[in-house]
Amino acid sequence: MSDMREEMLRTLDRIVEENLTTAIRETGEAGTDAVSTPLWSALNEAGLLAIAGTGGDADVSFADAMALVRRAAYHAIPVPLGEAIIGRWLATQTGLELPDGAMGLCLALPTQSIRLAGLASRQDGSIVTVARGGHGPVLLAGAGASRHDQLALLDVGAASVTLTRNIAGELRETFLVAPPHAGQKVLSAVDLPGAETDLFAAGALLRAVQMAGALDRTLEHCLVWVNDRVQFGRQIGKFQAIQHQMAILASETAAATAAVDQAIEASGDGPDFLTIAVAKARVGEAAGKGANIAHAVFGAMGFTREHTLHFSTRRLWAWRNEFGGEAHWQGELGRLFAARGGNRLWETLTTRG
Amino acid sequence: MSHFNFEPVTLPPEAARLRTAVRAFCAEERANGGFKPAVGAMVEADEAFSAKCGARGLLGMTWPREYGGQERSSLERYVVVEELLAAGAPVMCHWVAERQSGPQILRHGSERAKREILPRIAAGQCYFAIGMSEPDTGSDLASVRSRAHKVDGGWHVTGRKVWTSFAHRAHYVIALVRTSGTPEQRHHGLTQLIIDMKTPGIEVRPIYNVYGGHDFNEVTFDDVFVPEDMSIGGEGRGWEMVVGELAFERSGPDRFMSSFPLLVEAFNEAGPDPDRHTAVELGRLVAHLSTLRRMSSSIAGLLQSGHSPVTEAAVVKDLGTTFEQETPEVVRRVLPVMPNMPASHGAPDADYATLQGLSQMQCVSYSLRGGTREILRGMIARGLGLR
Repeated sequence: MSDMREEMLRTLDRIVEENLTTAIRETGEAGTDAVSTPLWSALNEAGLLAIAGTGGDADVSFADAMALVRRAAYHAIPVPLGEAIIGRWLATQTGLELPDGAMGLCLALPTQSIRLAGLASRQDGSIVTVARGGHGPVLLAGAGASRHDQLALLDVGAASVTLTRNIAGELRETFLVAPPHAGQKVLSAVDLPGAETDLFAAGALLRAVQMAGALDRTLEHCLVWVNDRVQFGRQIGKFQAIQHQMAILASETAAATAAVDQAIEASGDGPDFLTIAVAKARVGEAAGKGANIAHAVFGAMGFTREHTLHFSTRRLWAWRNEFGGEAHWQGELGRLFAARGGNRLWETLTTRG
Repeated sequence: MSHFNFEPVTLPPEAARLRTAVRAFCAEERANGGFKPAVGAMVEADEAFSAKCGARGLLGMTWPREYGGQERSSLERYVVVEELLAAGAPVMCHWVAERQSGPQILRHGSERAKREILPRIAAGQCYFAIGMSEPDTGSDLASVRSRAHKVDGGWHVTGRKVWTSFAHRAHYVIALVRTSGTPEQRHHGLTQLIIDMKTPGIEVRPIYNVYGGHDFNEVTFDDVFVPEDMSIGGEGRGWEMVVGELAFERSGPDRFMSSFPLLVEAFNEAGPDPDRHTAVELGRLVAHLSTLRRMSSSIAGLLQSGHSPVTEAAVVKDLGTTFEQETPEVVRRVLPVMPNMPASHGAPDADYATLQGLSQMQCVSYSLRGGTREILRGMIARGLGLR
């Protein structure tokens, strides 16, 4: 691990230690402004929102940035750090100008392509749901005036926003994109062929990395529990039935790590569709299995609001559905490999070595 | 934070050239009628094919030149192994010898064993079987009863091994036997011996499997002489030897590639534009396969740097065999077929119905051979500090 990475992770751990309690998490899940919190300010002041590989100037690689995102997810931090980092990374890759701070990402592919200019009426707009913690412009992909694919940053203006929460309690905002309706305007834009695919894949990679972090924490919670909890006169971790469940949980976590590492490595120069599809599909599956095992092992204790296990497992359940669930990415893989034919399956799989 | 060590590896540039070369070799062999792709990984045996692999320098590649090797990296070997399996090549003859017996001899064998045996394995002309299980010893390996007692210049071995794959064609078996103590003393007093199958006193009896194939054997030893310098690691270190050997046995692509030829045929059967359900189910299998490759190559990297990743190997084998077993199950749901009995075990047809038939009967063995799923999960739990 690079010194830079270790230092960043230590800084994050310290900020979490100083700024995050269960009470603050609970308040956050009721609030509508995650980015006006002391936690967000502390992350910003420490320079963790605009790190390199993502537009900053330090010697931080993309893999370092993703290690930070993973650790943040391990801590279940209730602010959109990952969105800010991955958005900034994509903007840097493509030369899009970004202001500092939070930004939103669309969580699902729009049912019809977004048009960023030349709209005749609101009826031509597209509904999007975004993650941005209540503030900031939204990074989206759409067609510009010349109908070229563009990556753009949209000021949401005074658009009417419907607030919901995902099952992790994270704020989600749904609104109509139809600039210049309701004062919406494109702050900056770059032509980028395949922008929609790239943006969605970047989001999928983000959630896969975060799920790997949440699985790390879930495994850790379970290991502590099975060593502490005594039933039938023994620590429950001494029972073979529990040991085998723990082995599966640990194996799924290891598989999740391998899948995200592979995608991170392949995506150094921009989102790598194939390995990201593998990661989101595989890690999403691990997330479901892992959360189930954790709750089975914890019994009723893990089903209480009081225990902190749910801050990790609810994130696993929420994140596996955002930026395309397993079936979406499995389908993408299935179609991609089918189009090339069975006899080229191995060749396609080994393209990257 | 991480309990296991699955460090990323980067395949060296030579590996890419090697991959191309092995792929071309397999394509040529197939085109010339050398083989048809088979499911099961390492169940089809072809002496000529193994000898060709040897002649092309594809076996024992990581070993020192003086023992017939080429001093190449474990990662290069990894690429060769997965290419042979992806092609469904008939690799059984050399498989066990090259995968685990050779490395075991190289690390812990006598100078004589290294000189006499390793170059022949590297040439693809010397085959091994593994003598671990016994009639009363399955997963509980430390309970072996086969005995070796000391005689002038070596040992006399008496006992019985079962489920001994390929013993009927192997030149040697590496047997785990008791050189002192009792079965109750468990791990103490065990020794691994290299037994020449030509030695008088050995009887090999076939045990046919569910589809009538002959892979398993029962091997009986009746006062079989084994020279002093044919022990591995020396007397009394058998348990330690077995544990180290299993890291080689459990982590390779042969633990997740068994159903690969079926997956290829499934994609061919599904056509270029499958319906959504089929695409999703087959795509899921691709996601698993890609992840397993990543994990297994990472273990090759660990072996390269001198580690013995026993727990990581157990993780890969458990996930890998689960995937191998799921493949025929998933495929039959999306592409229903009435599976065919292979015409003869020695010459399987590569069509979809026949591959599905063989897969169906074969796949139950994947989570048994090389250590059962339950044993592996116990080892992983030990790695987590729970045992």
